[in-house]
Amino acid sequence: MSSLAAFWQYTRFILVRERIVGLIWIVALAGSAILFAAMYPGLFSSDAEMQAMAQTMNTPAMVALMGPVYGLDTLNTAIIMAQECLIWFAIAIIIMNIFFVNRYTRADEELGRLEMFRALPVGRLTGVAATMIGALVLNLVIALITVCGLIALNLPGTTVAGAFAYGLAIGAIGFFFAALTLLIAQLLSSSRGVLGVSFALFGLFYVIRAWGDMQNSDLSYASPLGLISRVFAFYENNFWLLAILLGATLVITAVAFVVYVKRDLGEGVIPARPGRKHASRFLQSPFGLAWRLTRNTVFAWAVAAFVMGAVYGSVVGQLDSFLNQNEMIKQIVEGFGENKSLLGSYIAMLFSILAAVGAIPVVNAAMRIYAEEKRGRIEQVYAAAVPRLSLFASFMVIALVQSLIFLTLTVLGIYAAGESTGQLVLADLFKDAFVYLPALFLTLGVAVLLIGLAPRLSLLVWVVPVYSFLYDYFGRLFNLPDWVRNTSPFGVVPQLSLEDFTVVPLVVLTAVGIVFCAVGLAAYRRRDLR
Amino acid sequence: MPVIEIKQLVKKFGKLTALNGVDLTLDQGEVHAYLGPNGAGKTTTIRVLLGILRATSGSVSIFDRDAWKNSVELHKRLAFVPGEVNLWGNLTGGEVIDLMLALRKTGTSHTERREMFLERFELDPTMKCRAYSKGNRQKVALVAALASDAELYILDEPTSGLDPLMEKVFQDTILDLKKEGKSVLLSSHILSEVEALADKISIIKEGKIIQTGTRAEISQVAAGRTLEELFLSEYQGR
Repeated sequence: MSSLAAFWQYTRFILVRERIVGLIWIVALAGSAILFAAMYPGLFSSDAEMQAMAQTMNTPAMVALMGPVYGLDTLNTAIIMAQECLIWFAIAIIIMNIFFVNRYTRADEELGRLEMFRALPVGRLTGVAATMIGALVLNLVIALITVCGLIALNLPGTTVAGAFAYGLAIGAIGFFFAALTLLIAQLLSSSRGVLGVSFALFGLFYVIRAWGDMQNSDLSYASPLGLISRVFAFYENNFWLLAILLGATLVITAVAFVVYVKRDLGEGVIPARPGRKHASRFLQSPFGLAWRLTRNTVFAWAVAAFVMGAVYGSVVGQLDSFLNQNEMIKQIVEGFGENKSLLGSYIAMLFSILAAVGAIPVVNAAMRIYAEEKRGRIEQVYAAAVPRLSLFASFMVIALVQSLIFLTLTVLGIYAAGESTGQLVLADLFKDAFVYLPALFLTLGVAVLLIGLAPRLSLLVWVVPVYSFLYDYFGRLFNLPDWVRNTSPFGVVPQLSLEDFTVVPLVVLTAVGIVFCAVGLAAYRRRDLR
Repeated sequence: MPVIEIKQLVKKFGKLTALNGVDLTLDQGEVHAYLGPNGAGKTTTIRVLLGILRATSGSVSIFDRDAWKNSVELHKRLAFVPGEVNLWGNLTGGEVIDLMLALRKTGTSHTERREMFLERFELDPTMKCRAYSKGNRQKVALVAALASDAELYILDEPTSGLDPLMEKVFQDTILDLKKEGKSVLLSSHILSEVEALADKISIIKEGKIIQTGTRAEISQVAAGRTLEELFLSEYQGR
């Protein structure tokens, strides 16, 4: 078949190009699928605990997050493992497939590599067919290693059929998204667009499944993620759902092949939309530029903050059973407030950790100005009549906005998911969260200081939140003395759900933050730019 | 009053001396070509002129004012094309051009010149910068600089990646600017371009100016050789 000329060479070539990234994905995905499963027998000391866990999972928020709970009548370790883990590995393998297919189709085409191959005696369909075979190999290898691992682990309740149902569900959802991305790569002419639309569809399918699962409606079957979440591995082992998914995958692949053969190389079926001819009024200022460069991240973090809050908030009602499942987490939570209320300790832990996570978008926004410098894009801005301070200050304002948005939306997420318990007071949650604002401001100060004085060392700013994060986990676990806590800017913040409000640490954090910002800005004005 | 006056400029990066006593003068209405191979210090000189880098010693002034201290004020009167054009992938060419014009804050409307140069350089302003070819990215920077009504144009290898047709458009534009009495500092590798445009030529080697003068003076030094032959002999010691 001439349209598949050089097919095997091309497939080999893809696998060779993929040998490192692909291997990392295989090891990471299959490895963690087995590792996670191996941890399960240690989680429960009795069947009652396991039932309690399943009840925790059976709340609307958790079902929306992870999928329906099943097999309560014959509950065993394998079932609960599959129910809790499947969605995470599905998400990971979907991400892998979207990037993989885009890399060998639209991205290669955009970079002109495909043209080079098409000029060789390579068949018309060779590239896309080899890409799909490459995806099949990757997904199948991950699925089969997982299957073998589960059979070898032999958790209570393991059956060979169940292991295959679980492993193949992961492989099948991956392969489905490979086909979907392949089709989208034929429709759009930019690889960024392909990634964007693929991930948007992934998100849409996830929401359809979450909605359907929460309502326990058949709507879930309209989503490929809904299909695999109803395979019910180790219980019903509904292989026919995987057959449907595979059938859909093949149909989409065939459609993509037809479109690929019919269209011109380099073009998409949907023509690229022309962009704006003029800059909006808003863009024509240093702040407008800074905002334009960061706004997508700001929105993404807003969503992430809300989801994170909701995940943590969803367990407020079942704190006792949730914490009893895991001795380690229990110890950490109790480390926050001995002999205090469990809820108070939990909230204290929550904001201590979330505040450290909130440092990520804050630091990223500040570091963006240095990233722009490294990429050689800042010279032209300063060559126009832009004072250095005004651009840097713009990014700092965005960093501050990020900290406000992050804290607000985590609070709203926690409240939205946990308010039905009647144990949460919104105003108190806001206070619990916003006492961390000075600590975030100080972290911003450290970033500004480093960018001004020692830009090459600016990555060191991550020490601040990472140290705080590590202390939250290990410090509480090992009962380290109080002064250790006070060495972290996040540690000195009063935890209002447990302690009284003290203003001194907050004033100190803010003052030091202001000094750091001032020194950093002054140094930035005077230094050479790359 | 010279437009640009650089005296005994030294710029060190740690132990490395990039510029070792550079002198350069650009007078009003003059196109001054700045020649030298890669790494000789052309871009470093320009970046000091723009206040991106701080001079280690020596004096650098534009319009008789210190280029570092008054950089923001001075930049309102000059336009710049960087040696390596890096644009924001998710902005369109039109957006970048408008942004750069607005950031120069001259307060005048550039609409007419902008449209004129977009047409002259045959640039589609609606494409995202990441989709532009190298030549088109260069055109974005050129239009952004040329559309602004500046007194001084600092151009660092402005025509790299342009086709011969666009090179011609560029040369015509520079000659127009010269007629309007504008001053141009033109760093370039393209000797034919220099011969067509330059009133004065300075050649830099290893951080020092080794030849400077009007075209006539340089021809005298060249003694019957072409500019290219002179350039090669200065550099290879032939």
